[in-house]
Amino acid sequence: MSVLDVVTQTRNKLRDVKFFVPFASASLAFVVGAIILGATGVDVGKAYTIMFEGAFGSAFGFGDVLLKTTSLLLTGLAVSVAFRCKQWNIGAEGQLYMGALGGTLVGISVVGLIPGLAIFLGIILSFIFGAVFALVPAVLKVKFGVNEVISTVLLNFVAFLFISFLLHGPIKAPGFNPYSPEIGNASQMPIIFPGTRLHAGIIVAALATVGVYYLWKTKIGFEIKSVGANIKAARYAGMNITKSVLVTLAISGGLAGIAGGMLVSGVQHVLIEGISPGYGFIAVIIALLGRQHPIGVAIVAFFFSVLMTGSETMYRSLGVPSAFSMTLQALVLVFVLVGQLFVVWLGKRKVGGAR
Amino acid sequence: MKGITIKFGDVVANNNVDFDLLKGEVHGLLGENGAGKTTLMSILYGLYQPNAGEIIVKGEKTTIKSPNDAMELGIAMVHQHFLLTPPHSVTENIIVGLKSRGLFLDLASAEKKILYLAEKYGLKIDPKATIADLAVGEQQRVEIIKALYRDIDILILDEPTSMLTPQEEKALFATLQSMVKQGLSIIFITHKLHEVMEASNRVTVLRGGKVVGTVKTSDSSESELAKMMVGRSIIESVEPKASAKNPAILQLKNVSALNNAKVKFLKDLSLELRKGEILGIAGVDGNGQAELAEVIAGLRKVQSGEIIMDNTAITNAAPRKIREWGLAYVPQDRLNTGLILDYSIAENLILDRWYKDEYSGKIFLKQEKMKEFAEKVVTDFEVKTPGINVPVNSLSGGNLQKVLMARELARNPKVLVVHNPTRGLDIGATEYIHKQLVKQRDNGVGVLMISLDLDEILTVCDRLAVIYEGKIVSVMDRRDANVDDIGLMMGGKVAVASEGKK
Repeated sequence: MSVLDVVTQTRNKLRDVKFFVPFASASLAFVVGAIILGATGVDVGKAYTIMFEGAFGSAFGFGDVLLKTTSLLLTGLAVSVAFRCKQWNIGAEGQLYMGALGGTLVGISVVGLIPGLAIFLGIILSFIFGAVFALVPAVLKVKFGVNEVISTVLLNFVAFLFISFLLHGPIKAPGFNPYSPEIGNASQMPIIFPGTRLHAGIIVAALATVGVYYLWKTKIGFEIKSVGANIKAARYAGMNITKSVLVTLAISGGLAGIAGGMLVSGVQHVLIEGISPGYGFIAVIIALLGRQHPIGVAIVAFFFSVLMTGSETMYRSLGVPSAFSMTLQALVLVFVLVGQLFVVWLGKRKVGGAR
Repeated sequence: MKGITIKFGDVVANNNVDFDLLKGEVHGLLGENGAGKTTLMSILYGLYQPNAGEIIVKGEKTTIKSPNDAMELGIAMVHQHFLLTPPHSVTENIIVGLKSRGLFLDLASAEKKILYLAEKYGLKIDPKATIADLAVGEQQRVEIIKALYRDIDILILDEPTSMLTPQEEKALFATLQSMVKQGLSIIFITHKLHEVMEASNRVTVLRGGKVVGTVKTSDSSESELAKMMVGRSIIESVEPKASAKNPAILQLKNVSALNNAKVKFLKDLSLELRKGEILGIAGVDGNGQAELAEVIAGLRKVQSGEIIMDNTAITNAAPRKIREWGLAYVPQDRLNTGLILDYSIAENLILDRWYKDEYSGKIFLKQEKMKEFAEKVVTDFEVKTPGINVPVNSLSGGNLQKVLMARELARNPKVLVVHNPTRGLDIGATEYIHKQLVKQRDNGVGVLMISLDLDEILTVCDRLAVIYEGKIVSVMDRRDANVDDIGLMMGGKVAVASEGKK
């Protein structure tokens, strides 16, 4: 048997383990979750049943699952594009808020337009708002070497406070609450399944998934992922690092921006302060667990929105605090990451001695 | 050691290996990279546990579970890469990890013992010196004394000469002789034949994890050992070509540049490479070789001076421009700079030309063209791979280097810079790479070969230059080259070398 055969065989075995481990890890997270639930005196079997039913038991519930998937998928893609270039964009939440602002501005100013065009314009402007906001840390990085982890995290708060300021003054609708005026009918995303809250945004998210999949087969995509895979090799091969960083963060921020715009055009129809329950932050987890692959991200986004939707039902029916949803998400993250380490460790044990 | 077998996954690194070391001998352990030499010695040193076999030390069967166990049995190992703390003194580095009585370290008596050992074995060292100030050869002495300090009987040296100048090498061999005279036994791991001939009493040759044989050095010859080691004879020397009349294709004029630590590292370096020649740059590692290659490739800023390639000034131009003007460059760090290990062969091959119309349309890469190119390279360069879409990290070192060379040569360059092109490769791959370089030369390309392996330079180059502390100290035709002089120049002794000629 040649060395090559050995290498391929070992790789094949590893692939099997790789496939199996994440599911086992996620299941373990549910086991630990059950222990926590049990310790608080909740009937675990009932709780998990209700959770499952909440997500899959009714058209409305499942519509909500897909609705949340839309936001989680777009932000998850946003973060994974950045991560593929090793740009640690932790600012998707802020970019989402800026995108929501962009969408709102279109929605309240182009009231008379035909629906399709108004929606299209809304999406474009939310992309641009998110992209430009993400370019701030990008420029800071390439010009002054400012670490993007810190700048993107901090810029989240700038976005929150800026939106808050606008909603309390310049774009506040008449009335008591700090809301923007309602966007025009033409700008509202149509509901695609009557009796649910699911709107056409899911189609946009699906298109974005396909788009990101093909992004890596484009000229610029190749440059971006090469810079991320190995910056030394990319520079040596004559690639433009500055351009890659800028383009990456613009795409990343833009995708998060679209997620924000559609929270306004598809769900709230007004801009409010807490429009996202932290989709842009959960997106980081989703990108990590989905290994920055669009399909992986889609699966994880769906799974997490099942978790979130189910937990809400659990809260309404059993009074299990909604914090449990976050606990479970965190447990899944920890277990799956440890599971990945386990796979790496297995790989080292098997291949390490080959040299 | 009897019947030692160790497996890593499905790979058998040592297969039923018998090895015996006599008291008071230098035993060479010879083999190509990957033959299992270091693995075998790591077992003796307690770093790995064998799957089968037994170890008998001084007549007693033992199991060695850790380096501590090995030390107790009087076995020590000096690794290829030193394990010293640069800011600490020699003494501190030597006594580190030893138990001491009382609250304070007894440095004075430790120094006394070090000086005694140094005297006894002829290892000149200042116990108070800081490691960072020492030359590589001196650091190695510290490692050896560190082992001797622990009252050992068996010393394992893993490729001890890989970083040394010829002179330091000679001094080391003398030390080995004095150590065996005092009753020590030494195992000397190497893949260099002449070292075994010079320094050892007996040799065990490993190939593919198995023992080919153990012979008395005096009863053997370099060519016989070479045959045992690779299964065939060694690399043939390439006939040098005269290039004096060829026009210059690459000129460096008083080039200065900083190293990564922002210290001026290239100092007014001047160099001329001609068309149709292979110019070798010899020198001890860390004398500006990497910086030299990088300034040419546009990867490092030139502080002052000028670089001209084929009548175009390329000083501080963008890497992509320089490449388009006719440079091909095979960096020494093929794993982390030359290639992207997670990428397929096809992707690695377009790393420098992905933007060209040939391989990409307005938006998308042309997957078909990439595939064609990859298949052509795999066939033309005889790359052993399960397919063009597997990540290159599953290829062996030689095949990786073939992929990298293929990409660079496909540029049809005017100038080809290669840095340690055959480091870590086996003889077959080395010969292949050398042939490619010669072919380029014969096609009129100017080839600049920077190599730490002086033998390689003397085998392939037409002319050679010696680099020392960021300067070219001498340039000569290979026909006029004298190994001893080059060795002295590599160690910075220019004056001595030229005096020697008179």
